[in-house]
Amino acid sequence: MARKRIRVSRGWLFTWLTLAGFIFLFAPQGLTGKFQTSFARIFRWPLSIGRSISLSASAPQSLTDVVSRREYNQLQNYLANVTEELNQERRKREKLADLRDRFGWDGFDFRLADVITATVDGRGELIIDRGKDDALAVGQFVLGDNSVIGTVWSVDGKTARVKLFTDPKSQLAVNIAGLKTVMQGFGGNKAKLKMISVKHKIKIGEVVCAAKKPDFLDAPIIVGKVTACKRGDENPLLWDITVEPACNVEELSSVAVIILKPQK
Amino acid sequence: MRWLRFAVLILLAAVLQAGAVKAVAVTRFNICPDLLLILLAFFAVYGNTFDAIITSFAIGFAADLISPVMGPQTISFGLLGTLLAYLNRLIAIKKMPHQAAVIFTAGILAGALAYWLSVLRGQPHTSNPYTAALWTSAYSGLVGPFLFLPSAWWMGIKTHHFGKYGS
Repeated sequence: MARKRIRVSRGWLFTWLTLAGFIFLFAPQGLTGKFQTSFARIFRWPLSIGRSISLSASAPQSLTDVVSRREYNQLQNYLANVTEELNQERRKREKLADLRDRFGWDGFDFRLADVITATVDGRGELIIDRGKDDALAVGQFVLGDNSVIGTVWSVDGKTARVKLFTDPKSQLAVNIAGLKTVMQGFGGNKAKLKMISVKHKIKIGEVVCAAKKPDFLDAPIIVGKVTACKRGDENPLLWDITVEPACNVEELSSVAVIILKPQK
Repeated sequence: MRWLRFAVLILLAAVLQAGAVKAVAVTRFNICPDLLLILLAFFAVYGNTFDAIITSFAIGFAADLISPVMGPQTISFGLLGTLLAYLNRLIAIKKMPHQAAVIFTAGILAGALAYWLSVLRGQPHTSNPYTAALWTSAYSGLVGPFLFLPSAWWMGIKTHHFGKYGS
């Protein structure tokens, strides 16, 4: 039996497919993002293997008597966290002698997750291989090499999207030099602090820590370091501070998500 | 056109492009060849116009799946692939230097168009998009014509370089 063929002209085919492209372009990102997440979920194994291959190919040959850059960064970030913790404890003790608070992660748990894909340049985003099934939820903080790199932005059963703090749509409450402010993502693996008066002394290399957030973060954790500090173009009375992540996000193969333990 | 083989090839290229291809990245900007761009040029050069339109949009969709935003690459690859297919009807692009030039030019134009569509969408863009498109296209142009041969073998397409693999 002859098969009936639907004949479409080249012009119409091109028009319809272009229209489909524009529908994808202007459809809500939450909807179109499901295609990308599904692709990442279906091909998670080959994607992870490919990422491991590229990471191992780009890893520099380390000498036996020196630590790797990554290990060095991890230790530096750990040191920064402990130092910030110590400073905060000292300030608390000075101000609130009768109100003792204890730093710790007693009420929190961590979920280790492998990075499936990472987009660092432009929009900062990771897709990780943990989801709702592992108690991940929107808003949870994500650590990479002992530093906060972003927050969980969307979750499905087995995967989650992490918005990096350098993403232009990301805003994060932070502490810097004893000040609380909001850090705005800038893209290109950078974030900006633009609400700090020039009367405050900010040095290049100053540590920026994520501010505590009830139910999500109970300790100051390093986010990044100041890499540039100049007077703002729009308002010279405010600093225009550039912050870069405390770890190389592009080279992360796994991250840890901070999860609140259920109350017993 | 062997569509099942085409789907396997595109999925393989997308998976490799998302990860493993960075193993051959050069310079501190991590410039790597764009496998999907190479396949776009391949199907535009060796397919008929009707098939080239479908393959161009399908490859663009695959490129969008591994990009931050859905849509820009579907449109830019679809448009460039269609133009390339029509150009191939006028001027046969058979020699390797010509194929390299076509990949290079298509890469730059597709990259620029995708960038402006992302801006139109209001999405943040990469730093130095034109530089990235330029070097990615150059790298793709260099390696692309050599990847035409295994692609032609897999798709069972007869090329004058690989004459013994007929369909």
